[in-house]
Amino acid sequence: MVIPLLVGVMFLTFMLVRIGGLDPVGLLAGPTATAEEFEIITEELGLDQPLWKQFLIYAQNVAQGDLGESWLSNRPVLDDIAARSVVSLELLFWGIGIGTFIGVPIGLRAAFKPNGRFDQSARILSLLGFSIPTYWLGLVMLFVFFYLLRWAPPGMGRISLMVSPPDFVTGSYLIDSLLSSNWSAAHSSLSHLILPVICLAIVSAAPIIKQTRAIALEVISSDAVRYARACGLKAKTVRQIVFRNSATPVLTFVGTEITGLVGTMSLIEYVFAWGGLGQYGLNAIVRGDFTAVQGYVLVLALFSVLIFLIVDIVVALIEPRVELN
Amino acid sequence: MSKIKAESTSLANRIANRTRGLSRLSPTATAGVLIILFFGVLAMFSGGFMTHDPVSSYPDRILEAPSAEHWFGTDGNGMDVFSRVIYGAKFGFGIAIPAVIISVLIGVPVGLIAGYRGGLLDEVLMRFFDGLRVFPSIILALAVVAATGQSLINVVLVLGFLDSPVFARVVRSEVLALRSSIFVESAIAVGNPTWRILFVHLLPNSIQGAMAQTAVRAAWAVRISATLAFLGVGIQAPTPEWGAMIRQGAEFMITGQWWVGIFPGVALIFLVFGLNLFGDGIQDVLDPRRRTEK
Repeated sequence: MVIPLLVGVMFLTFMLVRIGGLDPVGLLAGPTATAEEFEIITEELGLDQPLWKQFLIYAQNVAQGDLGESWLSNRPVLDDIAARSVVSLELLFWGIGIGTFIGVPIGLRAAFKPNGRFDQSARILSLLGFSIPTYWLGLVMLFVFFYLLRWAPPGMGRISLMVSPPDFVTGSYLIDSLLSSNWSAAHSSLSHLILPVICLAIVSAAPIIKQTRAIALEVISSDAVRYARACGLKAKTVRQIVFRNSATPVLTFVGTEITGLVGTMSLIEYVFAWGGLGQYGLNAIVRGDFTAVQGYVLVLALFSVLIFLIVDIVVALIEPRVELN
Repeated sequence: MSKIKAESTSLANRIANRTRGLSRLSPTATAGVLIILFFGVLAMFSGGFMTHDPVSSYPDRILEAPSAEHWFGTDGNGMDVFSRVIYGAKFGFGIAIPAVIISVLIGVPVGLIAGYRGGLLDEVLMRFFDGLRVFPSIILALAVVAATGQSLINVVLVLGFLDSPVFARVVRSEVLALRSSIFVESAIAVGNPTWRILFVHLLPNSIQGAMAQTAVRAAWAVRISATLAFLGVGIQAPTPEWGAMIRQGAEFMITGQWWVGIFPGVALIFLVFGLNLFGDGIQDVLDPRRRTEK
């Protein structure tokens, strides 16, 4: 199931970047290049080969764990991606973590009194969350918290230029500086982390509120909960039953949400010059760096598959009705 | 004569039945309708509201703060932000409406055929759609627009195409449920051709769920097209499109000229919010699954 998906993804991206109007040779050669220079570059990139041959060579390399070199930076794509993944994961982890932490309780509470005042406010709040452009929210936050209040650093990177980054352990500046007890670096990296994480949390909370409410509503109208109520169990106990029964579908939903949030995260990285995988991917797409785009998309697909796998395992652990096989 | 009259009243009844749902819209959905109407008027009669030409620059008035002359200030080219924000409403509707129409025109027939025929075709299509879902929609839209050419028409086509699976899925699941129902079987038994069964018998009975999605998908199209413009793909500055304007305003945000980027963003949020409010409301009325929720 996974392998055909990945091969399909590889093939689609491969064809997409080549059939399209992107012109890496022109970008690399520059405006003053002669026809011969064009030819040499085309040959170096392997673009003079027929398409099917190009794809076979590419697939062979990927199977051996070689994603090729970026045509613009001349560095191995895999190294670039590996270095940036941790940087992005740090943002994604805190953002979706906080988003879930806010969204699930709001959604549950809204479901207990459908169409009540709290439910209505939660609904409008979540629709507003759907409507705010992430990048705009980031820019407004920079304006308010950096320009007006001077509370936050300017949105340029993950740590202040005045502070030397901590020794490399995991790649996350915050964790690394805490591990090496480098307090000034920890402070700086934390202050750089806060605004983008808040942005991501707000945007990710909106769909979680909506979905948790829908799931909990269904659970509340189920026979199990109606029976529990009919037995005269305390409201608190009934809430616990509802929570326990909503946990699995909510978790599955958050899993699928993560994939979608990678796009949102790219925009946040772009605004805050975060330098993670999302920003790398956006740049590669806009600048027509074929190998980098292919590598990036492949890693995204792998990441989604991995997330679904993790969700399946966690569900099996917390849900006695599901068994791992 | 009387027969014709009877038919026409039944038609009138049917229309009344259909529209009665709309009058059941919640207050929030009505607010959504009002917001959409507001922007619709702005887009249609933008000439009457604009105080300046949206693309002519006043070189001696670059980055001026909001004033009586320039209500929303001027941008880095010395263009009037207020007039540009008004004009931007045209792009919101001009992209969203055709994009959703394209999605429906592709998605609904695909869903009908896939659901009715089933088999290998259905399997392949659904797998393909599943594959598309692996990607965040903005990354996919960005890649396809960047690869296939950067023009307004192309943005519309790509968004319409990429969003068609939403409609295909909804229609397909409805058709799957209806396929073995008695009215379809009798339609087959009396010898209707397949196209007639699909478009005359199945379509009217399976379209409601898809229609309920249109407003929300329009909101999506407005948002994504603005995001593309913000990234500098598709629509380019100095076109008075909201996303492109936010892009222009981005660099001034940390130097204090907030009006360049804030105002187009507020307009964008309101239009998308209005569409989402309305979309949420019509889903409650039209979507059979959500109707039972209350």
